[in-house]
Amino acid sequence: MISVNNVRAGYGDGPDILQGINLNAAGGEIVTILGPNGCGKSTLLKCIAGFVRPRGGAVEMEGCDVSAVPVHDKIRHHLMGFVPQTDNVFSTLSVADNIMLGARYMPAAERNARYAELMAQYPSLASKQERKASALSGGERQILSLARALISKPRVLLLDEPSAGLSPMMMHEVFAAIAEIRDRTGMCIVTVEQNAFEALGVADRAYVLSLGKVAIEGRAADLLADPAMRHLYLGGKPPVVESRPPFAAVN
Amino acid sequence: MVEFLVHVAIMACLYGLLSLSLNLQVGFAGLVNFGQVILFGCGTYGAAIAFSHQLGPVAGIALGIVFAVIVAAAFARLGRNLGADYWGIATLAVAEVLRILANNEAWLAGGAQGVGGIPLLFGDMPRPMGPLMTLGLCVALLLAAWWLCQRLTTSRYGLALKLMREEPQLAASLGYDLAALKTQTLMVAAVLAAASGFVFAHYITFVGPDQLVSSETFLIWAMVIIGGSGNHLGAIVGAILMQFLFAFVPFVKDALGLPSEHVAAMRLTLVGGGLLAFLIWRTQGLIPEHVGGKQNG
Repeated sequence: MISVNNVRAGYGDGPDILQGINLNAAGGEIVTILGPNGCGKSTLLKCIAGFVRPRGGAVEMEGCDVSAVPVHDKIRHHLMGFVPQTDNVFSTLSVADNIMLGARYMPAAERNARYAELMAQYPSLASKQERKASALSGGERQILSLARALISKPRVLLLDEPSAGLSPMMMHEVFAAIAEIRDRTGMCIVTVEQNAFEALGVADRAYVLSLGKVAIEGRAADLLADPAMRHLYLGGKPPVVESRPPFAAVN
Repeated sequence: MVEFLVHVAIMACLYGLLSLSLNLQVGFAGLVNFGQVILFGCGTYGAAIAFSHQLGPVAGIALGIVFAVIVAAAFARLGRNLGADYWGIATLAVAEVLRILANNEAWLAGGAQGVGGIPLLFGDMPRPMGPLMTLGLCVALLLAAWWLCQRLTTSRYGLALKLMREEPQLAASLGYDLAALKTQTLMVAAVLAAASGFVFAHYITFVGPDQLVSSETFLIWAMVIIGGSGNHLGAIVGAILMQFLFAFVPFVKDALGLPSEHVAAMRLTLVGGGLLAFLIWRTQGLIPEHVGGKQNG
């Protein structure tokens, strides 16, 4: 479904942030991209989406090179849905209006049918569809963002840190919703995440980036079980270090 | 005194049009255009070229709008490859290049000498009526422009512009074509500025490259910032306020017994000082942008 082939990318005249990345994601699987701050996770996702144009290599979706296809074209042709990192629902609009924003270019009949489907799938939103989005909790707002991206029935869903700023309980709720989308639709989902343990809990496969390169890739379950991986990239407990006397005592 | 006030009111309306045009770009779409004066210049030169070739005022306004739309399209094309700040500098550069071209190419519209004798729009009317009719036309144009801007920015289109200004990535992810939005905004703004330039040329009866200096752009910027960026009424109030303050500088000079050459310096101080004061103490301007819900003003 998505194939990233030897992609190099960066901003302006700066150095390459991505230095020859290869990544694959198939339909019906969640692929998560992990790594420390500044490793290029978000740049890779923006490159896949089309916000950043690759300097070299290619991004393919459904076998076609889409490196130069503008973001709005991919969205309008139902190829891709994208949920940015920031809190991106419109507080002053109702839940229904927020969702409909994602479908404003679709014919009215199709738009209404899709809206009804979504309301059936997300009863928590259906019960609040006339309320302003400002009345929703953080988790509900994120699910509203997901619903807005899903209304156009994209074949690929890209999520930039969907759990950013959420409490552990809400985070769990959002990841459960992402897993449910995969199971129900067979969609190809690519996420970038800081909360590695939560993300690996629902992902099928993962790529761990370091300094713009893929350092580790594999099945999510295998990565979770690997102690070296946990220590190096997932913030696992460091090995116990022998205790030393204070500086003053040494002197 | 009445004729003087009518003159000031005409100039305030023409600057109000320019201020609305810039506000649509900066206040709503986030397009930092430092070449605004050249869109105005397209209108003035449209009138001048039409007059030089014995074409009527209808041809003049048509030429002005065509020139302005072409320049706006060029600005928009530059914006595809440049970031917002670099784009602002590029628009300033394009405006300066076109001004220098107008200054040095005598075949275009008289070069540095400019074109004089452009007929008044209501020249065949007796003295108090002509300027009053011009004022009526300027007020009508300003109201029409305000209505157009208001309609545009309170619609879904306006929401898209604000979204593009605040969260371009989110706008693109909702399927908005940002390049098309920028081009459309620039073209609407260019038509407003060209209309102002066309009426200005027929009111002052002279067109020259000195009217296209970049300080004019920054004067319009000051009007928008002082009035309130992102609010149409604010942009108009800023233009009227600045224009009336400018008009009364000579009286202040006389009252203080200052030499005449201080007038220009006082006006520049008024622009720079006003701009600085508002940027420091009241960034939202006199009439701030309305945030959330339906808009008024």
